[in-house]
Amino acid sequence: MKPLSTDRPVLGLAALLVLLALAMPFADGTPLALSRYLVNAIGQLAAFAVLALSLDLIWGYLGILSLGHGLFFAIGGYVVAMYLLKHSFEVTGTVPDFLQFMGWKEFPFYWAGFEFFPYALLVAVAVTSLIAGVFGYVSFRSRVGGVYFAIITQALVYVAMLLMFRNDTGFGGNNGMTGFTVLFGWPMGSTGMLIGMASASLVVLALVLLGCRALVGSRFGALMIATRDDETRLRTLGYETLRLKLAVWCLSALIAMLAGMLYVPQVGIINPRLLSPELSLEIAVWVAIGGRGHLVGAVIGALLVNAIKFWLSSAAPEVWPFILSGLIVLVVLVFPNGLVDLAKLRLVRPMGPKRMAEEIGEARP
Amino acid sequence: MKPAAGLTALLVDGLTVRFGSFRAIDDLSLAIDYGEVRAVIGPNGAGKTTLLDVISGITRPKEGRVLFDGALDVTRQSESAIARAGIRRKFQKPSVFEGLSVRQHIAIGADTGFRGGLDGPALEDRVGEVLDTVGLAEQAERMAGALSHGQKQWLEIGMVLASDPKVLMLDEPVAGLTDEETERTARLVRALRRPDRAIVVVEHDMDFVERIADRVTVLHEGRTLCEGSMEKVRADAAVIDVYLGR
Amino acid sequence: MTFRFAFLVLAAGLLGTAPALAAPLDRSALVARLCGSAAEMGEAAGTLITLAASGSAEDRAFAAPLARAAMEKKLTCDEAGALLTAGGGTLDAITSAPRAEQGASRAPVLSLKNRAVFELADAALALRSAASPAERASALRTLERKPGSLPDGLLDAAAAEETDAGLKGQIETLAQTAALNASDIAKRITAIGRVADNPSRRALAQVGALKQDPAYAGDPAFRAAVDAGISRIERGIAIGDTLAALYNGLSFASILFMAAIGLAIIFGLMGVINLAQGEFIMIGAYVTWLVQEGLRRAAPALVDWYLVLAIPAAFLVTAAIGVALEAALLRHLYRRPLMSLLATWAVSLFLVNLVRVGFGTQNLQFETPFYVTGGVPVIGDFIFTWNRMFAILFAVVTLALTTALIRFTPLGLNIRAVTQNRDMAACIGIPTRRVDMMAFGLGSGLAGLAGLALSPIYSVNPQMGQNFIIDSFMVVVLGGVGTIAGTVVAALGIGQINVLIEPLWGAVAAKVIVLLMIIAFLQWRPEGLFAVKGRRK
Repeated sequence: MKPLSTDRPVLGLAALLVLLALAMPFADGTPLALSRYLVNAIGQLAAFAVLALSLDLIWGYLGILSLGHGLFFAIGGYVVAMYLLKHSFEVTGTVPDFLQFMGWKEFPFYWAGFEFFPYALLVAVAVTSLIAGVFGYVSFRSRVGGVYFAIITQALVYVAMLLMFRNDTGFGGNNGMTGFTVLFGWPMGSTGMLIGMASASLVVLALVLLGCRALVGSRFGALMIATRDDETRLRTLGYETLRLKLAVWCLSALIAMLAGMLYVPQVGIINPRLLSPELSLEIAVWVAIGGRGHLVGAVIGALLVNAIKFWLSSAAPEVWPFILSGLIVLVVLVFPNGLVDLAKLRLVRPMGPKRMAEEIGEARP
Repeated sequence: MKPAAGLTALLVDGLTVRFGSFRAIDDLSLAIDYGEVRAVIGPNGAGKTTLLDVISGITRPKEGRVLFDGALDVTRQSESAIARAGIRRKFQKPSVFEGLSVRQHIAIGADTGFRGGLDGPALEDRVGEVLDTVGLAEQAERMAGALSHGQKQWLEIGMVLASDPKVLMLDEPVAGLTDEETERTARLVRALRRPDRAIVVVEHDMDFVERIADRVTVLHEGRTLCEGSMEKVRADAAVIDVYLGR
Repeated sequence: MTFRFAFLVLAAGLLGTAPALAAPLDRSALVARLCGSAAEMGEAAGTLITLAASGSAEDRAFAAPLARAAMEKKLTCDEAGALLTAGGGTLDAITSAPRAEQGASRAPVLSLKNRAVFELADAALALRSAASPAERASALRTLERKPGSLPDGLLDAAAAEETDAGLKGQIETLAQTAALNASDIAKRITAIGRVADNPSRRALAQVGALKQDPAYAGDPAFRAAVDAGISRIERGIAIGDTLAALYNGLSFASILFMAAIGLAIIFGLMGVINLAQGEFIMIGAYVTWLVQEGLRRAAPALVDWYLVLAIPAAFLVTAAIGVALEAALLRHLYRRPLMSLLATWAVSLFLVNLVRVGFGTQNLQFETPFYVTGGVPVIGDFIFTWNRMFAILFAVVTLALTTALIRFTPLGLNIRAVTQNRDMAACIGIPTRRVDMMAFGLGSGLAGLAGLALSPIYSVNPQMGQNFIIDSFMVVVLGGVGTIAGTVVAALGIGQINVLIEPLWGAVAAKVIVLLMIIAFLQWRPEGLFAVKGRRK
């Protein structure tokens, strides 16, 4: 893999993202300014692109497909929502809807401290690392991989959804949490705030993109690719792939969590539907459409699919599932490597036998 | 530190491997010494590859043990620990990393951990040396997926060679190669023979075996049928019966 | 009528001296007492109540209008006896023949005490003689308020005669309550034993109420009987609840098995998990519904048999969709199972939304044919319901047929061969792609049958596949790749654990615990319960 300094697509995309992030605040108030809706949409798309990167890191470069990445996205989202509600309560005295709904007089004890953002961030990182770490350890230790791993992660996110749908957990139940009014002491909802959040998301996206690229281009990245292509081969060369997989898996979970922390303040609500298996499957679809194993592809896939979804959800919401399933079939049958195939003008590149075999689950004896 | 020639590198002791009710290896015992090239031959299903699987930690035996260097029972070690101890193996199906370059393969093979055992220049030297040995210096920057079958075989040999292993196991190194490539591989294997290294080769190509092997072990239904020089094996009635004679 | 009355009166007169089981009724004396003093009226009411319990049908038919008339002030006493006002005219109270008033007349007034007794008498007689179930039900409600003062045998006799099943059950319950509240302690103790013979939550409430009874504190024998009765009932309820949970678990496991067996066969064969399997279940249920609706139009007489007649349709339609999916999509994803996960999800998304657009999101209405209606009460509150039995039997038959197919047919042999070694199977001339296609069709068809089997139990709507699919995955993971035995054991295990944990900590906890148990289990056996071991790599 060529060094990052000569990787034009990645550098170009990162530069573009940063440029857009810088341009938006300057354009505010001028005729070039984007509408509030568009600014918000850009911010949300950037969050989704970060999420897509987190999945591409493990699926594209480690060969592990997670159909439960919505879990880590939602952890970030829930924690940031808790921060926002607690912070808003401290500043404005607004009692969150779900507390009133449950008839509770005060926040449950485990909400203590969430008004401090660093603490909330620490909790998010700790919870994500713990869940990802324990789940990853037990799965990778018993050599669960491939399709097995995919469907177990899907069961994981499904169970988490059922859990969060309960109203007595103190996380808003099926109504979720909304009514965020203050972020870092600033009132939310102003155009300046919208632009700020969107720009921050774009910058974070650019940084995550560069960071992931640096990682996969490193010696460690070569070992990731080696694990993906033939894990047994790498193990019999003296490498403890369990540790490697666990490290990348946790890193990926943390990036997904970060995406959730960017997403929820911008969309203004979180509820357990973020944990539905459909969303987690959709992340894989973004990556597959963009081109797994290509960081730029993952970003473009996420942006493209979600842009269409945003547009259709106001124009013709009932058509969206059909479009999405059509897109998947198209990608799966015509562009096996995603839109990257288009970019290279190679329509169908047959997969080598090793690339095929690598997808077959480790759990199959 | 270096073991003297003639010392036992691998001692297989009462090994039994079962898949369901099928005994792939049945109470097998054999010893492989440092300094020799040992060929393990036998008909399909004789347990050759399963033996290598046990030694490299991929398959756990039901009974028995395999002592490395007279001390380490590899049947209780993980694959990576066995590899780090100095036992390396080339698989039957060429196993390379399609998404990595030839150079990266050799570098991965030369290092033994995430932090790397060799520092920058030393690693570069070692990679260059191995690339020359297996004759892939000109392909160093190519992706492994783009190599020919024979090049992949050599690349894998280079990868397992790079760490300078004490035990080198080659599972069908010339399967699918042309005569010329086979000839080159045979020269390579003979060149790798060292007093402090044991080389185990599983192969069906008898001419190749005859060229490289110091001693030959014939496996049949998980047991040793015959052991000795190639001439002795060729002359053995039992071997002719089950394997050589058609 | 008159003749028979005359005959009876005559017979009564003849038998007057004999010690009859039931004392012959002196009708004129009864009527006379009805017109007598308050005390005499009370005695008359007592006679009426006794009649209701043990009188002959004719006597009861005679007595019923008297009690009603006394209650409703339609009884007039005159010098010739008494008259009943009925319709426009008046009838003689004794003979029921129309006659006019004779001499001075008066309507007897019921004292407060007598009123209660007459009300009881009226209700008791109405329970036994009233023609319409509604009247009898209303009488029963009156009696339920006075369980302690009912005559012996009344309710037993009424229950024996009752034709309406619901009412019969209510009468029997009241009979138990009455016996429990009888004045005689020995009788009450016997009654407790009888109630405890059929444990249920209702019985527990009945016997439990006796703890408030004065006798509970006063009489040690009674107290012991009550305590023993309660513990017997509680034990019965516990057994019943356990059996009910096991039974529900078994039926859930049956559905899971049918959904998962197809997944397991396909996964073993092709390394593909079909995320649209839940939608195949849904399609199977919708096809069943369509068959029902078709029969309703074309052959209404056969509508009841739609569950049976839909079997081939549900199997073939889903199998055809499965074959089409395999041929159009999955075969191009050969050995790219992660991509085929996404492809099958696309199909799932497509099918759900297609059905949503075509049929709407509401639950489908299914007929419940007689063979899946009701059930046999076993113990406690456990009812052996036929709809669940249908699903269980269906799964057993499916299991037997699938096993036979895999073991004894050429297709089964091919499936086993390709599962074990695809390349070798191809080498010896097995058409592996065709085997893939047939197996995929088989697996999909089995999911369709699961949809049929669950339609009498679970609600059917476009999203229903979701409820089963994740559990089915877990069955495959737990059972191991491509083994029928593993799938059976895993389906039973997951079905039972889900249903057993649910009442303790709720459905969500059940899912959480099942998932954690599976992950823990994989630490011990990563290949699943019944995986075939072989050389790795």
